[in-house]
Amino acid sequence: MLGGLNTRVMLEYLPEIWQGFLSTLWLSAAGFLGAMALGVLACALAIQPLRWLRAPAVAYVDVIRATPLLAQLYFLYFGLPRLGIVLPEMLIGIIALSLNSGAYMAEIIRSGILSIPRGQVEAGMSTGLSYLQRMRLIVLPQALRATVSPVIGQTIVLVKDSSLLSLISVVELTRAGQRIAIDRFMPVEGLVATALGYLVLYYALKSAAGAWSARNALPGRG
Amino acid sequence: MGQQARMIEFSGVNKWFGPLHVLQDISLTVGKGEVVVVCGPSGSGKSTLIRCVNGLEPFEKGRLVVDGTDLSNRRALRALRMEVGFVFQSFNLYPHKTALENVTLAPIHVRGLSRAEAEARGRALLEKVGLGDRMGNYPHQLSGGQQQRVAIARSLCMQPKVMLFDEPTSALDPEMINEVLDVMVGLAREGMTMMVVTHEMGFARKVADRVIFMDHGAIVETAPPETFFTAPVHARTRDFLGKILHH
Amino acid sequence: MFWFYAERILGYWPVLLKGLGMTLGLSLLSLLIGAAIGFAFGIIRAGGNRWLSRALGIYIDLFRGTPFLVQVFIVFFILPAAGIELSAFAAGVVALSNLAACFIGEIVAAGLKAVPQGQREAALASGMTPAQQMRLVLMPQALRIVTPSLVGQFVLLIKDSSVVSAIGLLDLTRAGWMIVQSVPQGLMVFGTVGLGYFLICYPLIHLSRRLERRGQDALL
Repeated sequence: MLGGLNTRVMLEYLPEIWQGFLSTLWLSAAGFLGAMALGVLACALAIQPLRWLRAPAVAYVDVIRATPLLAQLYFLYFGLPRLGIVLPEMLIGIIALSLNSGAYMAEIIRSGILSIPRGQVEAGMSTGLSYLQRMRLIVLPQALRATVSPVIGQTIVLVKDSSLLSLISVVELTRAGQRIAIDRFMPVEGLVATALGYLVLYYALKSAAGAWSARNALPGRG
Repeated sequence: MGQQARMIEFSGVNKWFGPLHVLQDISLTVGKGEVVVVCGPSGSGKSTLIRCVNGLEPFEKGRLVVDGTDLSNRRALRALRMEVGFVFQSFNLYPHKTALENVTLAPIHVRGLSRAEAEARGRALLEKVGLGDRMGNYPHQLSGGQQQRVAIARSLCMQPKVMLFDEPTSALDPEMINEVLDVMVGLAREGMTMMVVTHEMGFARKVADRVIFMDHGAIVETAPPETFFTAPVHARTRDFLGKILHH
Repeated sequence: MFWFYAERILGYWPVLLKGLGMTLGLSLLSLLIGAAIGFAFGIIRAGGNRWLSRALGIYIDLFRGTPFLVQVFIVFFILPAAGIELSAFAAGVVALSNLAACFIGEIVAAGLKAVPQGQREAALASGMTPAQQMRLVLMPQALRIVTPSLVGQFVLLIKDSSVVSAIGLLDLTRAGWMIVQSVPQGLMVFGTVGLGYFLICYPLIHLSRRLERRGQDALL
């Protein structure tokens, strides 16, 4: 099936594929920053004691996790203009990606903090560290360490999810691949080029996660 | 010792873990009905030694014959394992099965016994190890000593010809050690062939026919318990006994 | 104004219901097929044959590393080029089952590897065949470990199934997309669609969490 791949056409479209690849890259980067900001905020709200501040954070995380990104994307894409908010598709896409991944990031950070054994805090108390010192010196360094791998995992999901932006006509890698399919009636070439682009990003992130955990593994705490 | 009476026979067995020579030229014969206690410091190869008998550890050089079966014959291994019971330091009971189910699982599926037959046998054995009232309990509902007694019953239910014990009491709280040792003493007195890796020297004195001391993968000394404890020949044996007996 | 549009959207209830049915049918069918293949994948991935396990690992990575949308397009557009004509539904089932198999395979493999080594040794020592070890001792324990993840995986499948709307399958998301063409109220239309997903997924997310907590308690 791949034997008949027309590599000449793939090379001809290489500049467009490259542009799409770069778009995917920066859309994902923007989505990642938004997601981290939202994630930290939602997590901070979810673990603080005031109920009326906790409720919206918990609701946000639950609603996002229980609905598909595509429905969230369409919700914003078809919905915002009716509220008089007209934004470029690309920005809508970034907002949707940030909102979606932000909920997962919040959960990741929260379980990172909850994974710190109580004994660690008590050890800090017993040596006379204040609450802020315990957070800064004991809890957060360990919690952040525990979140790096799952955060990279969610980033892989985010990169792949960004392909859905092609459905609201944002030009990125998936859309660029479709150009070959539509211009030349060569869906195979277009899709293979697209898939390869994502695999490059996937393996890069995956090996980053692997390298990180190999270097920073805490003995006995996988 | 006649040919028929030999149950386990090591000849020149060698094993390496990478560069580590964990079994060095082991030659040892255990007769039918004999009880052999193996002791030695940690890392001396004593666990590896008895794990070889059940084919849990492969070895690189030498010959090991158990109940007439040469262990180099990997095909005969499964049939052999049905005749050789193994009791682990960490019990390794199946957590998703009750005590009775743990005991009857292999007899039903490996020996091909009917459920009724296997359960009758299993109940009798659990009674025998003093757990008649615990048959329906899951492992996590039992104490360590109880779990280890279930594990012994589980091995016995296959009606093995040899029982191997790999530090059966090391993972137990002190007050539970005797309930397990009592079961093992009873078994030895019934004439079961046993190889036991343990530091319980009281057990060795009571029922062992021979005590073997291992160090750095080699058998250093073999003697009947009277001699072993009162007049050990090797300095390393004396040193070791000094460490474990004076506490 | 609100009620006017609400009534119009609710007027489309047969389409919404049909879409919901399609979403459920597609995800359930894919879960069943995907689980069957995924368990086989998991056994191979955790098994002794290094080369087979590695080859399968590369295959699984291909699908874990590319967007599901691209996979759906590949099944829908490339298989016909190889002479296999598929309806949108069949293409959806193939793509979604395959994705499920890949993820479930890795979950099951991790579950099998999490069963303590002593369990396999105890089974081995009692003379069980490899198949008996798997069926009687290892898999029942792995199953306990992975059940919460499998429920979580089902939630992901339901959500991923929305992507199949891109090749025109009338699922819940596609139903919303159709309605929004004539009732230009994106927030309300996709709010309704989202509610449909939420009502299915939210209880499942809770179930998964409860199973996870119960699993942790059982280990104590």
